[in-house]
Parts: sequence; C-alpha cells; structure tokens
Amino acid sequence: MSRQKTLLERRYAALGLTLIAPTVLIFSAVIVYPLFSAIYLSFYNVFTPTLEGEWVGLSNYAELLQSGKFWNALKNTLIWTIGSLSLQLIFGIGMALVLHQNIWFRSLARSLILFPYFISTVVAVLVWKWLFNDLYGILNHLLMKVGIIDFPMDFLGTMPNAMISVIMVGAWKYFPFVVIAVLARLQSIPDALYEAAKIDGAGPIARFFDITLPQLRDVLVVIVMLRAIWDFKEFDLIFLLTGGGPLNDTQTLPLLVYQEAFALNDMGMASAYAVVMMLIMLVFMIVYIRRTKDDEGS
Amino acid sequence: MTKRSILSNSISRRTALMGMTATTALAAMPFSARAQANTTIRWWSPQGAPAQVAAYEFQIAKFQALHPEITVVFETTSDEGYAPQLAAAFSSGEVPDIVTHLPSFAVQSYYANGLVEPFDDVINAIGADDFYSGANDVFRTADGNYCGTGIGNSAANMMWLRKDLMEQAGIENAPTTWDEMRAAMSAMQTGGIYGAPLPYGSNSMTSLIFIGFIHQAGGQVFTPDLQVAIDNEGTRNALEFYREMREFCPPGATNYSWGESLTAFVSGATASGIYTGRVLANVRDQNPGIADHVTCVTYPRISADVAPWTFNDFPSVFIPAQSQQKDAAKMFAAFLFDPEGYIQQLHAAPGHVLPVLKSINENPMYQDNDIIQKYPEEVDVMAAAAAGGFNLGYESTAHASNDKAGEIIGSNVIADLVQKVVLNGDNVDEALSVASSTIEGIMQG
Repeated sequence: MSRQKTLLERRYAALGLTLIAPTVLIFSAVIVYPLFSAIYLSFYNVFTPTLEGEWVGLSNYAELLQSGKFWNALKNTLIWTIGSLSLQLIFGIGMALVLHQNIWFRSLARSLILFPYFISTVVAVLVWKWLFNDLYGILNHLLMKVGIIDFPMDFLGTMPNAMISVIMVGAWKYFPFVVIAVLARLQSIPDALYEAAKIDGAGPIARFFDITLPQLRDVLVVIVMLRAIWDFKEFDLIFLLTGGGPLNDTQTLPLLVYQEAFALNDMGMASAYAVVMMLIMLVFMIVYIRRTKDDEGS
Repeated sequence: MTKRSILSNSISRRTALMGMTATTALAAMPFSARAQANTTIRWWSPQGAPAQVAAYEFQIAKFQALHPEITVVFETTSDEGYAPQLAAAFSSGEVPDIVTHLPSFAVQSYYANGLVEPFDDVINAIGADDFYSGANDVFRTADGNYCGTGIGNSAANMMWLRKDLMEQAGIENAPTTWDEMRAAMSAMQTGGIYGAPLPYGSNSMTSLIFIGFIHQAGGQVFTPDLQVAIDNEGTRNALEFYREMREFCPPGATNYSWGESLTAFVSGATASGIYTGRVLANVRDQNPGIADHVTCVTYPRISADVAPWTFNDFPSVFIPAQSQQKDAAKMFAAFLFDPEGYIQQLHAAPGHVLPVLKSINENPMYQDNDIIQKYPEEVDVMAAAAAGGFNLGYESTAHASNDKAGEIIGSNVIADLVQKVVLNGDNVDEALSVASSTIEGIMQG
C-alpha cells in the first residue's frame, strides 16, 4: 500500500501543477487546438471566408487520394525535400570542414556563412529571381559570356530547370544550419583520434571516413530529421520563386494546401491535405523520437 | 443538407442578412448623424506604391481634419495576398472597415456570401449621375443592390508600342489584327530586342490576359447565362496564336507576371508591352530615353470584324458587412471621391487608374499633370477602352455577373491550359476538356 502524502508533498504537487499550467495552456492553444480544428474541418465542405459549410465525412480524403493533384504534389515534395536536403548536407559538411581548419579570417568566414540562413526568404527570393532573370540576370550573362549557352536560359519557367533552381536556392538558403551543427560537433572530436590514425598511416580521406563521419553520425541524424521535416513543409521559398509552375511541376503539398484554402476557398479540402501532410511528417517525427530515445538510452 | 457555421466565431448567413437589412435601413439616414464618436476605421488596399500611399495619407489627413472624431488607419495588402488576408479577416470577424482597389469579381463573390455591405447609399452620396454611363453595372448584384463602386478604371491589356522601333522596321500603323501583329513582332525583333512580353507563367496574369485573347478571337469562357463555353473555336484560335507568339517573347516569359512584363517593356527589352497606363510613369522615371517614343492602342484581334476587348478589373471600393464602423466607413468612402484628394490619388499613378467620374476627367486640376498632358491621346484611348472594359466576372454586357470568377482565376486552370498547349504541346482537345470540367467543378462548387 502506498503511504499517504504529507502536506508538504501535496503542496509541492500543487505548486508543480501551477507552474506547468501555463505551458500546458499555451501548448493547448497553439498546438492542440489548431490540430484538432484542422482534423475537424477536414470532414466538412467549408467556404473559407465565412467558415460555413456542411458535413461531408471522409469524402474530402477520398477525393484527395483519387486526385492526381495530390500524388503529383507529393512526388514534387519528395523530390524537393530529398534534393534540397542532400545538397544542404554536402555543402554544409564541406563548408564546416573548411571552417574547422586554421584558415585566415576564420571568425569572419564563420559569421558570414550564416548570412543566407538569416536573410528573409522574401529578400533571398527577390535576389535570386534577379540573378535568374533572362534579360538582365548575371547568371545568363556569365554563361553566355563564357560561351556555355548562346541564348538566355529559362531557369524558372521550364522543367527540369525550375525544380533544379528551386532546389539550389533552397540548399543555399538552409545549408548554414548544417554548418553550425556540424562545426560544433567537429570541435568536440578529440584530436588524439586523428593523431592515432596518422600514426597508423591513415590519410586525409581515410581519417574523414573512419573518424570524422562516424563521430558526426549522431548529429547528422538529428540534422536530417529536423531539416527533412522543415523542408517537407516549406512554402514561401517555392511559392515566391515559381508559384508551383510550370504546370504544377514544382507544386508541393504546402502550395496545394494554400491554393485549396485561399484560391479555391475550400478550407475543408485544404485541411484534409494538411492532415495527410501531418501524417506523413509524423513518420519523420517517430523516427526522430526513437532515435533521440536510443541516444538517451545509450 | 443545411449549411452552418463551422467555428463559433463566424457569422451565419442569417445573421449576416439581418445585419445587412439593419444597415440598409440605417443607410437611409444621413451619414453624419450616425457617425460615432472617437472611432477608428481601417482601410485596406493592394495599391501601395509610395506615391499612392502619400496620396492616401493626404486624403486621410483632410478627412480627419473635417471629422476629428474619426481616425483612419491605412494598411497595405497585395494583389496576390488579399484573398487569404481577407479570408482570415472575414472568418475571424476582424475585418477592415473599407477596402479599395480589389477587382469587381472579388467583391461580387464576397457579396454573394453575405460578407459585403450594400453600397447604394454611398454611390448616391457621391452622385450617381456623375459616374460614366454603365460604370457601376459591374457592381450590380442579383438582388438589385450595388456591392461597391469603382474607385477607378484600368485598361490592363493595352498594347504598348515603341514608335521609333516601328519606324526602323518600316511599320507605319499600329497592328490591329493578329496577322499584322505577328508581322510587326517579326520585323521589330532584332538586335536583342524581343517582340512582346506576353505571360506564359502559372499565375493570374496569364489567365487574365489569355481570357482577353479568347474574346479577341471572338470566343468566350461562359455563355451569358454562365454555362461553361471555353471549348470553342475562338479559344482554339487564341491558343494557336498564343503559341505562335512564343517565339517573339523573352525566354523567361514562361514565368512572367505583371512586374516582369512591365519591366521588360519599360527597360526597352521588348518592342511592345501589355499593361495599364502605369507604363507612362515608369518610362518617365526609369527609362526617359524612350519616353518620346511610346504609345498605346487596344490589343489586336483575330480580325477587324471582332470588337476590341479590354480587360478592366474595375478597381473597387467596398465595405465589409461585419465592419463595426459602417457609418464612418461610408462617410470616408464617399470622401475618397472628393476632387482634391481623388485627383491626387489618380495623379499618383497617372494613366494607371483612370477616373470614374465625369466631373473629375473634366476638372482642370486632373488635366494639370505632366504625363496626362504629354500623352493626351494615349490617356483618352485608355479611358475609352477601360470604360468599355470587361473581365471574367463580367464578360460582356449580356453576361450575368459571375461570382466564381475569382476562384477560377485562383485555380490557375486557364494558365494551365495555356502552359499545356503552348509549352508542353499537349493535345488541344484534351487540354480544353480538362479545363472545361475543372471550371464546371468550380462553378458547381
């Protein structure tokens, strides 16, 4: 039998509840309520401006799964996420390794490398649209000047150029996150490991694959999980660069949600898309949670 | 099945109708008698260029001097962003008290859903007889009221031309037919200058401009009683001509919207342009070297037998039904047409937004503007074209008002049709069939 709690213990318990209450309330207001609202709305046919509508049950989901738009957007979302994330990792690890060396202006370089990550997406997109411009863009100008192309290239209006351009801009914008995380981990790898490897005759490539990469493994798992979730729901960068075009070939799921909600005024269908997106992201989250639990266990 | 409010903070249709009835009754009273003390009204507009905002601030200051109890706060939205912002505002009940410069079909759509206050009393306060004949027809609703009025007119698909390039190419007259246009573009596309900056992107400009091409080919998107009719000979001819024009457009036109198209002509990269009169101010400010050579005409048609079709989005003024400051908003809406402030607003983008009141067009203050004086013929052509203009919500004088026009444009179904046929080379029959069924689905909503 459990012993009866003392007055002090009961007071501590009450204090604990009081202290945690604001967090629970805020969590409920900003996470739980929107989540259940979205699920609830997805069972209705809702006109967005008035939020008036009628119960349609699962028909939004049935329509969604039968619609080519959903599968096309899902395919585009996966291409964007995998493409952008891969480049972020390659650029990010490469730059972190460079910035880990004892180079001139290292502190300045470490600060400047964060610039793309901190700059507003709207500003970044405006700059890149200007660079991509067919008539005045520096990219076309340089490519023509060195003789790679004879006529301006259409970076954003044809496929596969549009998807490649979007992925490149996304990688440029978000690779500093990888740099920060990897650089922090690199600085904590004991030098003794490298010295021992050198004594054993390991060259730079062997040291990277046998020491650096295994040491980065944990932080890379976290980076991949977080960035995969963030890239999967990326909206503004793609919307501003291509608007989903040409011909919906860069239309990802978040853009489809926006179109359903605000262009077609169908908040119910938009909510259904959002719920399905959430379920897909849940897979990433489960992997992430399991991974972090494993780390805590070990 | 009955429709009902999904979340408790939205208003029901019945409540909205009761509110509208009550406010219509109130509207019979003079505005000043109902103005409340110490009120703040919020004014939204997507037209937020610095010169325009300065003109709005002038109007606000003048209005507040006359009505110290009322404060007006101006807030900018955007052409692409107003729909989600207003949707959020309507559904939360936190609406602006007055909204300007949205296209007429957006206002019709909101009114049809009980979200907009009838505007008849404001039109009467401004002076119904002072409006150009038929200027308010596009705002007439199914119940006989007006859902708003035009704060200006715009002729959005004027063909802008460089007279110097025409002369160099041996072209004497501006093209009036597609054959003449094709020949002119071919002749003027030399030395790194392209013929035209037509839009081929996945955006509203492509849809809006191509609807013009359908009508310029003698076609239509809907029958007058709003049956879907986009699959017609006119659309097929328009698609064919639009495909042919691709070779005269810059490579990046596949992603062009209003800004890129405007810049292409103003910068001198294209021999022709397609835009409103904003071209004039931009040429003056950004490329004065060509200022003496620009002119405009209505956009060419498939043949001289087909009447010109000018896209006018009828920039509007309306008052949301949920506004808590309707009386003050109505007073301010009427005041926006006060000559001194209204003319300053029009002069902020001369030729871009044209007056809807006869008295303003005849006012010496309005005529006293360097651009209006430098380009009198062009301004007259635009004014006439805009006055007889149409859009998807009002395809012709015979057409019923289409309150689904905004959703059709927002769906990009017409831009997709253009991209499928012109860029992908898809089968026209299949592309038109998909477009028709998509539009049908939106209409059945």
